[in-house]
Amino acid sequence: MIPVLGSITLSIALGLCLIAFSLSLIGIRKKEANFSISAFRAVNLISILNIFSTFLLLNELIGSNFDIKYVAHYTSIETPFIYKITALWAGQSGSLLFWLCVLSVYTLIVTYQEKRLVTAYFQCVLLVLVLVQSFFLILLNFIENPFEPINVDFIVNNGNGLNPLLQNLTMAIHPPTLYLGYIGFTIPFAFAIGGLITKKLDSIIWIKKIRRWTLIAWLFQSAGIILGGWWAYQELGWGGYWAWDPVENASFMPWLTATAFLHSIYIQEKKGLLKFWNIILILTTFILVIFGTFLTRSGVMSSVHSFAVSDLGPAFLIFIFILLIVCSYLVWLRLPIFKSQKKIKSISSRESGILLNNVIFVVICFSVFWGTIFPVLSEAVRGSKITVGPPFYNQVNIPIGLILLFFTGAGPLLVWGHTSKKAFFNNFKIPIIVMVFLFVISFLKGIGGAAMVSFSLAGFSLAAILKEFWRGVISRKNQHNESLVKAFLTLINKNRNRYGGHFVHLGVIIMFVGFTGHAFDSEIEFSLKNRESIDFNGYRFELASLSSEERPNHFAYIAEMKVSNIENKLITTLYPEKRVYFHRHPNPDKRQPHSELDIYSTVRKDIYSIFSGIEQENQTAFFKIMINPLVRLVWYGGYILIIGTLIILLPDKEKSWI
Amino acid sequence: MFVSKIPITILTISFLAVIWISWITFNPNQEKSGLVRFVSITELDLVKENERIRLGGLVKPGSISITPDNQLECNFSLQQGEHNVDVFFSGIRPDMFKDEAEVIIEGNYYGGKFSADQLQTKCASRYEGDLKDQSSYKYKNT
Repeated sequence: MIPVLGSITLSIALGLCLIAFSLSLIGIRKKEANFSISAFRAVNLISILNIFSTFLLLNELIGSNFDIKYVAHYTSIETPFIYKITALWAGQSGSLLFWLCVLSVYTLIVTYQEKRLVTAYFQCVLLVLVLVQSFFLILLNFIENPFEPINVDFIVNNGNGLNPLLQNLTMAIHPPTLYLGYIGFTIPFAFAIGGLITKKLDSIIWIKKIRRWTLIAWLFQSAGIILGGWWAYQELGWGGYWAWDPVENASFMPWLTATAFLHSIYIQEKKGLLKFWNIILILTTFILVIFGTFLTRSGVMSSVHSFAVSDLGPAFLIFIFILLIVCSYLVWLRLPIFKSQKKIKSISSRESGILLNNVIFVVICFSVFWGTIFPVLSEAVRGSKITVGPPFYNQVNIPIGLILLFFTGAGPLLVWGHTSKKAFFNNFKIPIIVMVFLFVISFLKGIGGAAMVSFSLAGFSLAAILKEFWRGVISRKNQHNESLVKAFLTLINKNRNRYGGHFVHLGVIIMFVGFTGHAFDSEIEFSLKNRESIDFNGYRFELASLSSEERPNHFAYIAEMKVSNIENKLITTLYPEKRVYFHRHPNPDKRQPHSELDIYSTVRKDIYSIFSGIEQENQTAFFKIMINPLVRLVWYGGYILIIGTLIILLPDKEKSWI
Repeated sequence: MFVSKIPITILTISFLAVIWISWITFNPNQEKSGLVRFVSITELDLVKENERIRLGGLVKPGSISITPDNQLECNFSLQQGEHNVDVFFSGIRPDMFKDEAEVIIEGNYYGGKFSADQLQTKCASRYEGDLKDQSSYKYKNT
């Protein structure tokens, strides 16, 4: 009964979309408040229905109703409770419903906050939200219905169960966080379209709102991406956190344009510049969000993340095409407004620095886009299948990333309007000294190439930002006669935008240092028998014992690996495991092997051990050991970035939180 | 005088970026550009010695032989329909690597032999598969 109710709810929601759309259009055309208010109510009702149907599916997942295809595919009776919930976004149709549910929650927040319902601007925002919702409702109603009954000629007593790789707590958090980010960009997009139609682009309230919403989405997007990297590093066992996989790229591209937007909207807020550029950035961000969803859903790219091949591709392509046409038309219509805008006066100003950094973000985004679609283009044009691997992205983006690293520090040193030669010298003096110093040190230590440049530039930017903090604290301390700690805290509290931003930059610089550690990675693959040992990179790895154990849902071989240094002093003992899930399955092909790795982690380096396999006959175990320097800094940088963003987002006392 | 400089700077940067990206993409002499071509066995003779390529196919039954004194090295034969190619692979073999497994290898081809440093097995995932397929396991026929 409930599956039927779910399907009906989705159908009614789609029908209501049509009604809301018409009401809203009439309301805008005739300027009649009644129509606008009805449209507003219809949108609220649609959102509530969407959320309701998500709860219905959740109910079925938790109750293990295997009459529903989706439930049978992604859960089983043995699946732990929490993973029955996460199964909601484990598959194609469920995750689409979850997409819609998140968008509905966001929509309800927007409608709750807006007091002036009948303005043309707000009606346009509603219109956009309804259109995006109806696109997903069309998919759910006609192509991928999560409530679809199972179509087999036997009674399903138990389902497939969730992939063991996904049965991990990070995996329970990573997708919803990323969804909150992805879908969050719909709101600034709706604001942008509303602003374009009703020519509100100059309103300071509009700027503040669009900036805040983008920042919220950006926060989730950043956290989601970092969590995904962390999960891959801890769980997947290839020793890295970022593989330039098409789906990773799909989440990275809107992040890049949104980051650019957050910088340049700041200039618009302060100086009224770059209106055209900002609109282009935020529209592109949303189109990239839909493009990213398309990459994940359509099966056009093979990737660890992608779902099965489906019929969703054409629908997404049509939607992207419509978005492109509508956005281009609206921008073209409003060109006269953009033409009259003010211009940047000096190339040595902060605004031009931010603009340059914006261009760099867009260039990186383009290179990622290019690398992602190149295999498809190449097959279509030249007929040859090509894969684009990490070396391409690294080669292209390392130099560009280094320029970006420089701007991270240089930006705050530049002055609004025009930086005089004297100010330029004063501000850049110490950071440049630090940079040269680190350059020489790296050179003397035999560190060359991009790593040397990266460390020096990181030093430059770090010095620049710390100098900013220091300057602020000292001037506050002297003016108000406060202690250093109190001066520091009040400084941040009084200028959350500015110092929160500095924190974010600090996080990014620390992450860059962590990325640079990748240049010094080393790895070895070897086989060992019991009590044998091998020397690698100044460490001795000894296989002290090899045991096995049967656990509730898998069988595990456990290696006890003693790691000691050259002086034979024990550093740590690692316990990597080789597991076999579904080990009792009669068909060996259905048993699923999995390597559970073990990491010894310090700030300087991680020792990463993978138990890759075991040869039963002669009791030989295969291992892969990686020494990954500075990886921890990537996570530390991530924490600082998130804290910085939260500082900016903290609500002011007097104003509402958004 | 500065006003006109900014659009020119941006255009220059974009222009340089496009050149940079195309150079990495289309320069055929690069060793590690990250762009790897998928070929079939019949095309192998046309491949240059230093070009990294990918090849997909089935492991010929009974062809796997592991070097006795180095457990990490093995030789096997890759099958694509009627065509075969000898492959040497050094590294940890994936769990699903066995006779008739569908594999993708990456490396170089010279002197009639494919030397691979990457080996991936393709396995039909349990999780997106056809439910009927698993009736023997968890589904009871009525």
